Parts: sequence; C-alpha cells; structure tokens
Amino acid sequence: MSDHAEKAPMHRYGGLTLGAVAPWLIGALLLAAMPYVFSSNSAITIMNQMAITIVFALSYNMLLGQGGMLSFGHAVYMGIGGFGAMHVMNWMEDGAVALPLPLLPLVAGLFGLGFAIIIGVFSTRKAGTVFAMISLGIGELVASSSLIVVAFFGGEEGVSGDRTYGIPVFGHDFASQTEVYYLIAGWLLLATLLMYLFSRTPVGRMANAVRDNPERAEFLGYSARWVRFYSFCASGFFAGIAGGLFAVNYEILTAENLDLATSGTILLITFLGGIGFFFGPIIGAIVFTLLQSVLSLQTDLWQLYVGALFVLTVMFFPGGLAGVIMMHVPPWRNGKMRALVRPYLATVLPAGIGILGLASFLEVLFHVRRAAVGEAGMTLFWIHFSSHDVRVWIGIVLVTLLSFWLARRNAPALRAAWDFANTPPEAAPKGDPK
Amino acid sequence: MSAALELDDLSKSFGKAQIIRGLALSVAEGERHAIIGPNGAGKSTLFNLITGRFAPTGGRVRLHGQDLSGLAPYQINRLGLSRSFQITNIFPKMSVFENVRCALLWSTGYKYSFWNMVSRSRALNEGAAEILAEINLAGRRDLPAGMLSYAEQRALEIGITIAGGADVIMLDEPTAGMSNTETDYIVDLIRKVTANKTLIIVEHDMGVVFGLADRISVLVYGQIIATGPPEEVRANQRVQEAYLGAALEAD
Repeated sequence: MSDHAEKAPMHRYGGLTLGAVAPWLIGALLLAAMPYVFSSNSAITIMNQMAITIVFALSYNMLLGQGGMLSFGHAVYMGIGGFGAMHVMNWMEDGAVALPLPLLPLVAGLFGLGFAIIIGVFSTRKAGTVFAMISLGIGELVASSSLIVVAFFGGEEGVSGDRTYGIPVFGHDFASQTEVYYLIAGWLLLATLLMYLFSRTPVGRMANAVRDNPERAEFLGYSARWVRFYSFCASGFFAGIAGGLFAVNYEILTAENLDLATSGTILLITFLGGIGFFFGPIIGAIVFTLLQSVLSLQTDLWQLYVGALFVLTVMFFPGGLAGVIMMHVPPWRNGKMRALVRPYLATVLPAGIGILGLASFLEVLFHVRRAAVGEAGMTLFWIHFSSHDVRVWIGIVLVTLLSFWLARRNAPALRAAWDFANTPPEAAPKGDPK
Repeated sequence: MSAALELDDLSKSFGKAQIIRGLALSVAEGERHAIIGPNGAGKSTLFNLITGRFAPTGGRVRLHGQDLSGLAPYQINRLGLSRSFQITNIFPKMSVFENVRCALLWSTGYKYSFWNMVSRSRALNEGAAEILAEINLAGRRDLPAGMLSYAEQRALEIGITIAGGADVIMLDEPTAGMSNTETDYIVDLIRKVTANKTLIIVEHDMGVVFGLADRISVLVYGQIIATGPPEEVRANQRVQEAYLGAALEAD
C-alpha cells in the first residue's frame, strides 16, 4: 500500500540539493531587493500587477500546459476568489471577522477551489473541445450573472473595500504600496513553490500522462477524468489566490475581472511565455505586463503590436519565449554559443530594425489619419518630425525594406551556424561557418 | 489450475454487424495463450472487450473469478490486468523514465496523492530503473519517448504494460511492423518479462506464436474454432480450412 522508501534512512531520493534550492533563494532575494532598485510608486504598482499576473498565469498553465485542458473561462476562478476576498475584507472592516490581511489570499483561494470543485465535477469528464466549450459557457454564464447576482458581484460598480482593517502584522496595516508589495511577493513565492511541487507529485505527473495520452493512462489504473479533476481544483485554488492578491492590491473587483476578455488575455500571456516549461508563464506575465504598462504609454497601437507578437509566437515559436530560451541549451552544452553571436547580430538586428520601421510606418499612418486637422508634428524614437512630409515616408519605407532584405540575406548563415552549434563537439563535421 | 481469465458466451455487435459471437475461452494461471486468426476475425475487438474499452453486448468476462461487467479500464487495470496496444501507445512528450515511473504509480499505492514527491520515493525510482534495465532502455532514460526508434517504443510499451505488476498481461501484436532481428529481440523480451505471469497475445507472426504459446486459440468470424497446444491446432482440419479458405478467397 504505502511505500517504504520514505522511512528508509539510507537512500533519500531527491534530497534538497543546492541546484534545486538555488533558483528559489535567488528568486526570494530578487523579490526582496526589487523595491530598493525600483522604488518609485509607479514601478511598485507595475511589480504588484506583474506578481498577480504571474500567479494567475501559472495557475492557468496547470490546466493548459500540464493537464492539456484549454480553458476559455479561467478568469472566473480568479474573479470569484477576488470577490470572496472583497466581502471578507468588508466584514473585517465591520468587525464581523478578525483576520490578518496576509491570510486573505488563502480565503480567496478557498473560494476559487470551492467553485472549481463544483464546475470540475462535470467539466473535466472530457478534455479537448468539450472541455473548452464548457469553460467558455461557464465563463459567459458567470460574467453575465455578475450583473444579476448583485449581492455577490456588486452589479456594475463592483465590490470595493478598505484593506487596512485586518489584524496588524508586526505593526503593519498594509496602507502603503510597499507593504502590499511584500505581501504579494511573499504569496508569489509561496504559490509558485507550491504549484511547482504539485507538478512533482503523483497526481501532477499523471496530469502530464493524461495530457499526452488519456487512454493509455486509464490502462495504468488512473481515471483520466479524476486526474483532470484534481488538476482543475488545484488550478482553481491558485487562481483564487491571484484574485485575493488582486483584491488586496486594488481594493475593488468588478465584472471586468470575470469576463471573457480577461480569460482570453491570460491564455495569451501563458502561451506567449511558453506552456511547455514551468517557468514559461512567469516570463509571459513579466513581458506582457511591461508591454501593457510601458508600451501603452508610448502608443495607442500597443494592442496591435501585442496581437502581432502573439500571432508570430504561435506561428514560429510554439514553445513561447521559454521555448526560445530553452532552444539554446544544446548549443550551450556543446560550448558553441559563440558561433551564434555574429550570425544573430547579422540577422536579428536588421530584422528588429525592420520591425521597428514597420511599426513606425503604422504610427505615421495612424497619426495622419487620426490627428486633428493641421496637427502634423509627431515624435517617434525621440525624433520630432512632420507626419505629412513625404521624405519621412520614403525614409521609413526604405529603411524597413533594406533591413528586411539584409535579415533575409543573412538568414541562411544563421541557419548554418545554428546547425553547427547544435552538433555535439565530438561529432562535429569539418567547417566552421563564417 | 484455476482460470486467470474466463470468457463466457461473450458477444459484441456494432449495429447489425456481429463481431464477436458467443465466445467462450478459459486461460489458466501462468499460461501463455496466443489468439490467432485472419484479418477482421475480431481479435482486437476481443481485447477491447476484455479490458473494458468496449462494453460487451452479451456474456461475461471473469478475471480470477471476478466479473468485470460494467468496470472501466482503470478499474480493471487495478484488479491486475494490463495490456499493450496494436498501435504504439506511449506518452510521447514525457521522458522514457517518466513513462515507466507513471506506470508504477498506482501499484505503488500513491493513488491521487498530491502531497508526496515522486522524486523522493525509492520504490518508484528504483522500480522504474529496474524495468528500464529489463527492457534495455536504461541508456535512453532521459530522452522523450516519442524520439525512440520504433522497436524501442514497442519495448517501452511492453515495459509500461508490465510495470504495474499485473499478473495477467495482454499484448496486441507486439511484433507488428518489425524486422526479423527486432522480432527475435522482442520475443525474448516478452518471454523474460512475463515469466510466471499469464500472457494473452494476439499475433500474426506464426513463428512467434508457435515459439511462445503454450496454447493457441483460432478466432474466425468472431468464434473460436479451435483451442489447444500448438501441434494440435496446426493439425486441426477446420483451422487449415479457415486459413486455406481465406487464402483461396483472396485469389
């Protein structure tokens, strides 16, 4: 029944090694140090948002990447966790409940878990299209009932509250953004660690097996449905925690937190980061939050660029950003990273300039079509010019075409260098491509 | 000797097409039993009925005397019956080691545990390593299973099938599509890993069948027309007619 190895003192498998602990220690130190490096209020706001998105994206990837379940309604679990947390927060304000604020995300997680149990019982019978459609239906159902069940969802204005009425923790009442940052960072670390460990448990391993081949898993003694159910519940729990962190950070939840657009965005973020690796969604959440908060200040077209980035990722790098990073492990192992530097510069640099050129073209076009009559001056990459000047147009088109031509011309050399870098040293053939 | 597997008047229809017609068979414990027959005789359907992939239209399957009616594949598996598939059926994106370790999880007693770490269990890791050594894939341990050669994937499939410690092993055409050397290799492997277990095998390669089986059943049009030791089946008039007849029809 149970395994005896746990009690055997001689062999301990997977004991804590430095290599296993180091990433977590570095992560913890980094999280602790961030407010000292980026101390402005807006930076802390961005980092809080980033951390919440990371937890949400990781919980989403428990379904998509690890369990093979494509959900179009994951925002529901974060939203319900968040709304639950807001109500508890308001009870704390009324004095009906006494709770230190750092425990509120746990309560939110339980809300998410509870709803996931109810939905998971029937939605995880099948994966694939059936699951996706049910998730879409539930997403729409809950989003629309947010305007109907006003007692819980607060109607159009949502539910808001004040986070400072919790039992103080060592004198902190979490009124300041920095205090909230450390609360969120602590939960980020804990939730990430727990989600990582979950993927290493028997049911987490079987989630991968069921994703790859549900039928075979059944012939190993596991019901594919119940394996999916456990992943689904865990995912709902961690999405709820993300919702609780959202409640703590913003002190308001509205119907927007539950809607299909939010569910779609988390799918996009997770895929962009890479669903095949545990850390993929972390990268996706960081990149997306930066794009969203920094790029949106620079241009009205930022969503167009994010959309294009997503399409290009799906088409050319289905492993996402994490996949691109992990592609470089074999060249690294072969000790041939240096062979890639020059071809990369020769191809990726012009390609990047070409993309910026294309974006500039769109920006100028957008400016000409949208700006007020007589308003011709615009600034792009710190250069001020008139968007109606033909020379600007010709210059942009020329630079763009030239860059793409250069990138294309150098692409074969990059491919050759890539093949070379991926060949193990002992089996290396003659030529060093230059 | 008691029966490991007993089929009693088993039948299966898809619509009006009767694929299995009132089939009875008893396989003794520790026996190596081969099921042969022309294409379309219902061999794979029979496997699917026994393992719960399809529900029978009529009749019963008993494993060690226990009725399997209405049980799902995973429940049947837990009772000690494990199978492989005609088309390679592994977990292609997981490593070879992970494939075998997953196959060990249930029988090691972990069930749906989400509080144990698989990497810390000696039973799982040593067990998986032992099976990898047995199927000669220890050197491929960390490769994604989908990247193995065809013969290696077939070996891995057998490894997954036996890993859970089931005492009744069913193999569906384990040597299909293999070269002669690969076939010899797989047959030796099967003999090794199914020692002291009950083996039921569907196979087209008569060399394999007559070399491996204690008894042979011949399935034609959903019925068993002969069961017995290899020599007896080879000499059977009806078997010769069935195979000869099929050959004549094909001309």
